[in-house]
Amino acid sequence: MKKRMFVVLVALACCLMAALPVFSQSKVKLTVWGRDIADDGADHAYVKALITGFQAKNPDIQLEYIPLGDPGLADKTKIAMASNSGPDIFQSWGGSVMGGYADAGRLLDLTSDLKSVPGSAAAQGAMSWKGKIYGVAPFFAIAGIFVNEGIFKANGLSVPTSVAEMEKVSDALLAKGIQPFACGEKDKWPALAMYMYLTNRFGGDAFGLAQGRKLRFDDASFVNAAQKYQDWIKKGYFGTKPLGEGYGDAQQLMATGKAAMHVTGSWMCAQYSNKAFTDQTIGFYAFPALAGGKGKITDIMGMTDIGFAATKLAADKKAAVVKFMKYAMSTEACAAEPGRICSVPGVKAPSHLTDMAAGVFATAKNVQFWWDQDLPPAVTSPLNDAIQTFFLADTNVKASLTSFESLMEENVGPAKK
Amino acid sequence: MGDIAATTGNAAAGRAAGSARGKPRDWKRTVFIALCVLPALGFLAVFMYYPIEETFRISLMHSSGLGGETWAGFDNYVRLFANPEFLAGLLHVFSWAFWSILIQLPLAFLIAFSLTFYVNKTTGPLRVVYYLANILPSAITAMLGKFVFSPNNGILSSIATKLHWTWLSNIDFFGDPKIAFWTVFIVATWTYTGFPIIYLMARIEQIPTEIREAAELDGAVGWRYAWHIVLPLVIYPMQILAVLCTVGSLKLFDLPYMLTTGGPGNATVTLGITLYRQGFINWQYGKAAAIGVVIFLLSLAFTIAQFSWQKREGDSR
Repeated sequence: MKKRMFVVLVALACCLMAALPVFSQSKVKLTVWGRDIADDGADHAYVKALITGFQAKNPDIQLEYIPLGDPGLADKTKIAMASNSGPDIFQSWGGSVMGGYADAGRLLDLTSDLKSVPGSAAAQGAMSWKGKIYGVAPFFAIAGIFVNEGIFKANGLSVPTSVAEMEKVSDALLAKGIQPFACGEKDKWPALAMYMYLTNRFGGDAFGLAQGRKLRFDDASFVNAAQKYQDWIKKGYFGTKPLGEGYGDAQQLMATGKAAMHVTGSWMCAQYSNKAFTDQTIGFYAFPALAGGKGKITDIMGMTDIGFAATKLAADKKAAVVKFMKYAMSTEACAAEPGRICSVPGVKAPSHLTDMAAGVFATAKNVQFWWDQDLPPAVTSPLNDAIQTFFLADTNVKASLTSFESLMEENVGPAKK
Repeated sequence: MGDIAATTGNAAAGRAAGSARGKPRDWKRTVFIALCVLPALGFLAVFMYYPIEETFRISLMHSSGLGGETWAGFDNYVRLFANPEFLAGLLHVFSWAFWSILIQLPLAFLIAFSLTFYVNKTTGPLRVVYYLANILPSAITAMLGKFVFSPNNGILSSIATKLHWTWLSNIDFFGDPKIAFWTVFIVATWTYTGFPIIYLMARIEQIPTEIREAAELDGAVGWRYAWHIVLPLVIYPMQILAVLCTVGSLKLFDLPYMLTTGGPGNATVTLGITLYRQGFINWQYGKAAAIGVVIFLLSLAFTIAQFSWQKREGDSR
């Protein structure tokens, strides 16, 4: 009896062993590297909806989502790409960094699969490189000014429509003991938003020309903007400790009403309209124009807010990858987002602030991609380093920009008029 | 086990006889030694010597890390020595080493001596307290450092604001380029002094009680005993710690990066931070490798100095 039982058990085990590979082969596994944890945080709502929704709708695909944080995602992706390993899909801001991976032959060309997916042209452009589409950008951010309308109203101030008015408003706020701008320059990148706008307002498409090497980065437009920026820093528009405060501190200054304006990306719409985060009344406006300047109020700086690109490692499971990309662009997944500007048509703006930001975006006649997403990776971090030096009182801004121009010459080539 | 003993025993005998009379090689013994050495050698070759060789090779290339390397010769090195960030990093690691030796080591000696000389109920808990910072992950230490020195809601800033000490509340510990280095250094002193304390305590405790009794008879008590008896006896471990401090400073990365990311400007940048930025942010693998080579060569020089010190000390004994 025991012997027979043993034989039956062995036979059963053999059957199971033989069947296991069949079961496991029926599921395609997709590995996705992202930035945010898919938890209940308001700013993680989209990622959570995307992961859970996609998994529920596609039981034949096993989705492994790995949150790596910032800069963990960028660092790990870079290392993985260097060794031609890594995930099937990774969260990406598109632009030159993604372009670098595409040039190295690491990305999966999804042009034919994604070109007809409905979305804004700016978002599709951000995830394209040299005419090929490598991913999707369900959310697109623009830079503008978050204004504490409560403080403005209490002090009889109006939202500035010109740079001169902005200076007057800032002086008035300073006189009342209120910090005009929150920035968070300890983290370096936050100061870029205002510098991009100031340069544009002085010199129009100066950046485009410099990027195309038809203008130097120490041309008058860049220097004048930097000088204006440094003058404002010296006047105290950014508080007494702008280099000691990180981006999180800047958010806190706005949330507690200690600062009245914040020039940054529209990704902050969710936070600034969240009553659990701030009790202040905050609005979103376009960066004003400069009298006599070449740039217009309708020139807007923008970038991918949330995007995904696929690697060539996923070439044999392209169908699953395309399913994921399309679901990322679905109204169902996007509707969960509480603040960002959605690039998918038909998704209602989730908050008044997002509505305001989308309104500014709608007026855009020229969208310039965020500089540090548009320049080659070799010079993006040094660009932010150069801008940080404007915050040091004894810095000669022209010398900083000339130093950056030398780096551009080394990596891209000299400027030729 | 018995076989091994027999093999090695036979081998020893064979060596003694063979070396004298030119007998054929003991292959059993050679194979045994090779089997023992090979795994470690293989491990070292794959995980140490090959990466070192690759670092040297890439340092002579223009490389983004994504393929397409081109020969650069010494161009990466030439550019590095003209790069203000790299030069600032070089200066900072040597300043860091200098101040570590001048501040952290004497402090460690004072604490180690106090904890061994004045033994009471608090000695045990104090040992734990001093060593605790050393075993905490750098991320936690950095977080605690931020908690203390943060510009708006840090402990110091909050206390200063409450007491209306504007001179203190106005200090931007991480944002003022003249102060940021010292803020990071203070946090590091708290973190990195734990190991020298424990190391020196172990050495001080080894000093025979007869020496202490004889010193007491001669009137050398308290700090006179520390200065005239203990310090000369632990000067050799202090030298070793100084070398370790210097090599550690050359490789410094985590704490300054997490506290200030090397800023403001280049005020707290180190060679490690410059390497990281060049390699992983700027995609300049060639330059990053060149920095790695500089760190390697400097560390090697100091390590050789340490070994020659040890040898000289050994010879003098």
